[in-house]
Amino acid sequence: MSGLISGKKGSRRLLMGNEAIARGALEAGVKVAAGYPGTPSSEIVENLAKVAEAGNLYVEWSTNEKIAMEVAAAASFARLRSICVVKQNGINVASDFLLHLAGSGTRGGMLVIPCDDPGALSSINEGDTRHFARLLEIPLVEPGDFQEAKDMTKWALELSEELQCVIMMRSVTRLSHASGNVTLGDLPVTDVKAEFRHEGFPLDPNEGIITSAPVAFRHSQQQEKLKKATAAFESSPFNTYTGPEKPEVLIVTSSACNLYSREAINILKAEERVGILKLGTTWPLPEKLIENRLQKCDSILVVEEVIPFMEENLKILAQELEPKIGRKIFYGKRDGSIPSVDEMNPDLVIAPLAKLLGIEYQAMSEEYATNAMQKSFFAAPVRDLTFCPGCPHRASFWSINNVLKLDNNRGFVCGDIGCYTMATLPTGFSTLKTLHSMGSGTGVASGFGKLTQFGMNQSVVTVCGDSTFFHSVIPALVNAVHHKSDITLVVLDNSGTAMTGFQSHPGLEVDASGGDAVKLDIESICISMGAVVKKCNPFDFEKTQQLLFELLEIKEGVKVLILEQICALSPEKKAKKNFEMSVDESRCKGESCGCNRLCTRIFRCPGLVWHEESGISRIDEAICAGCGVCSAICPVGAISRKEVAYE
Amino acid sequence: MEILGTKELMEQVRDKGLCVSCGACVEICPYHKSYKGKIALVFDCDMTPCQCYAYCPQTETDRDLLSRTMFGTMDKGEALGQYRSIIAAKAGSKIKSNRFQNGGTVSALFTHALDSGLIDAAVLTGQNDDLPEPMLIENACDVASCATTKYMATPTLAAVHKAIRDGRKNLGVAGTACQVKALATIKANPLGKAEQENSIGLSLGLFCTWSLDTRKFSAFLAGETGGEKIVSMDVPPPPAETFKIKTENEEREFPLKEIRKMIPRGCACCPDMTAEWADVSVGAYEGKPGWNTLIIRSEKGEQWVEEAIADDYLVRDEFPRSRLEHLTLGADNKRKKAEEFLTKEKK
Ligand SMILES: Cc1cc2nc3c(=O)[nH]c(=O)nc-3n(C[C@H](O)[C@H](O)[C@H](O)COP(=O)(O)OP(=O)(O)OC[C@H]3O[C@@H](n4cnc5c(N)ncnc54)[C@H](O)[C@@H]3O)c2cc1C
Ligand code: SF4
Repeated sequence: MSGLISGKKGSRRLLMGNEAIARGALEAGVKVAAGYPGTPSSEIVENLAKVAEAGNLYVEWSTNEKIAMEVAAAASFARLRSICVVKQNGINVASDFLLHLAGSGTRGGMLVIPCDDPGALSSINEGDTRHFARLLEIPLVEPGDFQEAKDMTKWALELSEELQCVIMMRSVTRLSHASGNVTLGDLPVTDVKAEFRHEGFPLDPNEGIITSAPVAFRHSQQQEKLKKATAAFESSPFNTYTGPEKPEVLIVTSSACNLYSREAINILKAEERVGILKLGTTWPLPEKLIENRLQKCDSILVVEEVIPFMEENLKILAQELEPKIGRKIFYGKRDGSIPSVDEMNPDLVIAPLAKLLGIEYQAMSEEYATNAMQKSFFAAPVRDLTFCPGCPHRASFWSINNVLKLDNNRGFVCGDIGCYTMATLPTGFSTLKTLHSMGSGTGVASGFGKLTQFGMNQSVVTVCGDSTFFHSVIPALVNAVHHKSDITLVVLDNSGTAMTGFQSHPGLEVDASGGDAVKLDIESICISMGAVVKKCNPFDFEKTQQLLFELLEIKEGVKVLILEQICALSPEKKAKKNFEMSVDESRCKGESCGCNRLCTRIFRCPGLVWHEESGISRIDEAICAGCGVCSAICPVGAISRKEVAYE
Repeated sequence: MEILGTKELMEQVRDKGLCVSCGACVEICPYHKSYKGKIALVFDCDMTPCQCYAYCPQTETDRDLLSRTMFGTMDKGEALGQYRSIIAAKAGSKIKSNRFQNGGTVSALFTHALDSGLIDAAVLTGQNDDLPEPMLIENACDVASCATTKYMATPTLAAVHKAIRDGRKNLGVAGTACQVKALATIKANPLGKAEQENSIGLSLGLFCTWSLDTRKFSAFLAGETGGEKIVSMDVPPPPAETFKIKTENEEREFPLKEIRKMIPRGCACCPDMTAEWADVSVGAYEGKPGWNTLIIRSEKGEQWVEEAIADDYLVRDEFPRSRLEHLTLGADNKRKKAEEFLTKEKK
């Protein structure tokens, strides 16, 4: 059984931020958790799924974030505690429902937990979800370390239940994915019965109907709840101040930036000169607490990541308070003291702080910096982002690229979100030409496919993975079919949500906790919509290309090609090689072939290596996944494959 | 003349819309491929010097190199190219088929060359469904299957390269002016490729004023004939200004003006009407239906024609002076038009 549920009260454990949040949910007696996989958020639901049976929870990977939010809300409506976990842009997907949920109110405690990714370490955006809290008028809290990640989860769930409104608890990559010591609390023995009461007076928050109308009435109730939340925030244990009573500079910060700020002060040995007001409750701001701190210092440095969210809110408050506390000078994003893109780090805090304090500071000597730069430049091998050895996507894009180039009418592919997003890069032969959010490949393609009346005659192709297909491609596909948009959708079906770690999805027979689930068949779905559907194995280049050519020939309506091949890393494959590969040294002519190293320069599976000394290609047995595909690309047939017989 | 690579081939030829889909760059590397009458670069390649650039008839031409290779002399720059004699010709009694474009001289010469062992195999241009397709012909009896002119740009030379890659030597090839120019370059072997040694045995050039974009023209044909099988096509001599298409059930004429719209841009810079870089060149004999104009250019070509006549594969007739003047005028006109186009391009 996972340590998450066996850990005793008072014991200390090294927990990843996401594990701490999961434990906090358990300590708060959460019964339902739902989410859609997305880095850096996935481990919260994953860990809860592992203890679902032992802890009598219901945990699901929902089809998309909006549905995850709805599933969690239903639990709250039935007076259970619940959480909904998504990555930053998941909030965008769920935001329509969330807007209405903010208005309708909740019953059992409910948290929506977005894990943001400043610096876009594993995203193609660095969306800042804090703005949604203000936009949708719901309270926002942000843990500042690992212990807080656990404790705040419980505290915020209790507060949500008391206020009867959903609360947003935001984490970030550096908190979710780093680990620290956490002292555990009690796991409650709960025996709550799920029950949805709807027979009372319609406007009764506990017995009536749950909706955001009548709007003026419910909206004013919602704002009352926000006032109560502000009052609770004034005495929240997660808002702390450390430093001298009257500091020269007051840092106001939150979340992971709290750690960077502490380190910066420590490095500058400025403990006696600088104070840190670390806020755990970041919207609405606890006004009295802030008034009290601002009164004692005139120079305020706001340290936060991405957009100046706290900075702007603080400035509004300071303006309102000016008659009482006098004029304050703010340093932060707006004056350029702190960058408003990418991740923060201690150095980025040190620079403006040292300037404010008049301290000469250089992070490292020039000599060291040049030396380090040179060493890392010359000694580190060049490694670009690439598909894994044996990845079906490399094979799929090889075919898609070939067909579109040969089709020769400047056809292009609208991309989508998954591992195959990397096909914007050379590893996927730079095949993708547009790339936005989940499901938008098919939506954008649907639009392109209707532009023939304005003279567009390029082939329009789009791709999506199996999980993305269910997440949000289906409505876009419906749109394209309905409007007879001339597009070809290639479904790269690798049987799992591979990019985020093989979470289940509606195309599989298992659910998040490993239980039985109903599998939906992509092919039948597309056929029932009226699309022309073909299916094959992307490792068969000839067949794949022939089918794709055939589909592109059909000039009106939606065509779907399903390329089915399990992910090379899938646990089900157990790292088995299907083929033993080798390069026939007498056939590979190396540099004199005229192929210009097609295998190691273009196809570039990491399992193929160019051997400088002998001037020919070789198979790196340790890396090769034995998929056998590269034997079909060598123009002189020097790469051969031998089927591996397993018992 | 410097031989460059794919990057320059793309810049100088294909990206400018000057490619005529001859196929000279196809099947020599994994990068240039042909599909339905169009040539594509499937992946970038930065190698140089390269065969693709060397053989392409639309890159700069080293006329002296070609002249030395084909005729053993320096280039003389004449309108009809170098030649030994010009005759009228048509298929002789040895040839059983009677379905030709004109006099069947091309089919007759290749039937003879295969029968007599002058060449090991031939690369001709046949048809597959509605698209022209290069074919490797090993038996004389299959030559007839490629007869008649498909007025569409065809990557015939791709099949030549493929045959060479499969180890074949001493090939006989029929092609339009651009194609035989590329063949002459392959024969000159400027990059010293071992596989190209003795690969080309005989080359036969087809007179050519223009060809048509394969995709556009096949779509046009499909639309006009509703998918009926095409038996033949022809451009009757001036002043007809028409294009004739014969299907199994009917014969139809289209204004040449409409058809000309489908000429690939690359044809406009070709100065060569009589396919000067070949052993022999063959065209229609205007005003003498059922006969061909046959230009005998190289010594090898001369032997080929003489043997074919001696063995009754071919019959000959006089080619009068008045015809020669007419032909020269036509060739001159094409050259001038190409020069005008190129001057405009440079601007
Ligand atoms: C695109 C094109 C344009 C031409 N324009 C003219 C012109 O303006 N004036 C003129 O006098 N003659 C022209 N010709 C030549 C003419 O049409 C006849 O091919 C020639 O007179 C030989 O006739 P034949 O009866 O001997 O041919 P056949 O015995 O019928 O044999 C014809 C041969 O042509 C070859 N061929 C057919 N289509 C193509 C093609 N698309 N590409 C390469 N080879 C092909 C085949 O290999 C076949 O062996 C043109 C030919 C082509 C292919
Ligand atoms: S003209 Fe011929 S050789 Fe030149 S690019 Fe086109 S197909 Fe290739």
